[in-house]
Amino acid sequence: MIRTVGLGKSFGQPVLRGLDLVVPKGTLYGLIGPGASGKSVVLKLLAGLVRPDVGQIFIEGQDTTKMGELALQKVRAGIGFQFQNNALFDYLNVGDNIAFPLRRLTSAGADEIRQRVAERLARVSLPGFEPRMPGGLSGGQRKRVGIARATITQSPLVLFDEPAAGLDPVTSRKIFDLIRDEQRATGATAVVVSSDLDNLLATVDRVGMILRGALVFDGTPDEARAATSPAVRQFVHGLTEGPL
Amino acid sequence: MTAATRPRVVPQPKDARGTSALGDLGMSVPPPGERPGAAAPRRWTNLPAAMGAALLNVATHVGGIGILAGRLFTRLLPLPSRRFRPALDVEVLMKSLHAAGNRSLPIVALTAIFVGGIMVVQATPLVQRYGATSIVGWGAGYAILREIGPILIALMFNGRVGANNTAELGTMVVTEQIDALRTLAIDPLGYLALPRCVAMVAMLFGLTIIGDIIALVGASLAAGPLLGVGTSSFWNGLLAMLDEWDLMVGLIKSIVFGVVIALSSTYFGLKTSGGAPGVGRAVNASVVASAAGIFALDFLSTFALG
Repeated sequence: MIRTVGLGKSFGQPVLRGLDLVVPKGTLYGLIGPGASGKSVVLKLLAGLVRPDVGQIFIEGQDTTKMGELALQKVRAGIGFQFQNNALFDYLNVGDNIAFPLRRLTSAGADEIRQRVAERLARVSLPGFEPRMPGGLSGGQRKRVGIARATITQSPLVLFDEPAAGLDPVTSRKIFDLIRDEQRATGATAVVVSSDLDNLLATVDRVGMILRGALVFDGTPDEARAATSPAVRQFVHGLTEGPL
Repeated sequence: MTAATRPRVVPQPKDARGTSALGDLGMSVPPPGERPGAAAPRRWTNLPAAMGAALLNVATHVGGIGILAGRLFTRLLPLPSRRFRPALDVEVLMKSLHAAGNRSLPIVALTAIFVGGIMVVQATPLVQRYGATSIVGWGAGYAILREIGPILIALMFNGRVGANNTAELGTMVVTEQIDALRTLAIDPLGYLALPRCVAMVAMLFGLTIIGDIIALVGASLAAGPLLGVGTSSFWNGLLAMLDEWDLMVGLIKSIVFGVVIALSSTYFGLKTSGGAPGVGRAVNASVVASAAGIFALDFLSTFALG
């Protein structure tokens, strides 16, 4: 389970102001909110890439805000992270990018790594893409490679930052299906930040909405659609009239 | 419906400053004077303040480079937590050695051969006026080995390898590749920065040796047609009047310059922010800072080494 208590973070101006978030274990959780509301910052805080100014983050009961860099490295080894712009290593080909976590974090042999990379690429509909360089891929292909790399170690916690941004509706739907299938297969806890509300709400178990640095809604997708709070209702239904 | 699964609508916090919702979302920008943390308008007429700010800026960067040097040094130590091995990725080191050394060799060779020729061209009027052809080899060798060879090769290396290192690291920062390494429990300093720094220092040392030799060959080739000094006469003069220390001074300087370029280019690369323009600014700052550091430390080391 992930739990944040009174999480605050400022980059010159406050981004998060006392965020209390609970993501039950094994849940596929969607995080929504207007642009610049701090959704991506929450993911980076959960992964320990950014330190909070105030508040606590508990991952499986461990307060990561009290940890030193060495202890945090061990926590990060159990987290898969798909970055908003994929963060593929330019100097490695697709196969080596996906194999990178396995080579670094596990003792898997070369044959096993090759096999798992091929299986992962087939899962993201990119079979045989191992020798291609990231620079020669389309946006959608890069997204899928990023997802393959984030999920190859089958981490107990996976964080997805805008996995479908800039993709066509069909590819976007496939990406969300892939995330759901992966999460169901591994039983991992997954947090997905996305602006593609239709696909996100059709995929996740629970959804939380961040507004002005705080969580203003937490419930199931159906409850989000039926929310009476003006801000949540306006955002979920994409209305132009409202407090936002 | 249990309490845990019940939808939770949390009251929206009111903005303490009472700004609009648009302002809360970071979409409105207050005037510069009201912006928190905004710098006061520059008054260039206030010379002492401007000089103080510039000094503070330099001190900040020098301090940052010093901290980076310390952190890299700790990663070189064979600590028990690393099974008594340095945190140096051998595979990345090999690639970095190739990138810094092999690929720089042609441009260093080209620079060096002209440097040797220039030494003789510059010396020609004096040598002809005083008929001092016997000291041409010594003069060219002294200048090349002690000063011109190390410093010009370092400047070329700075422009090619140092700038490339800053650009690569900066791009990795702005495209979140460094963060991606950290999420994979990999220390970016041990994995990326240390091998690059070691490779740069080692390769500048090696390239200086090669460059010195090529520059001396260039000087000897130019001395014949310009001054009528034969090859054997040139080399005899050089070997008779120079000693090992003259060579060592230049090589020690090359190590110092290599450390300057490695630390400066890595520091500015890892400090990059602001997307593609930020990478450009980082490369610019790195090249300028390294060049300034090279000249400053050349001055000091020339005094220190005699």
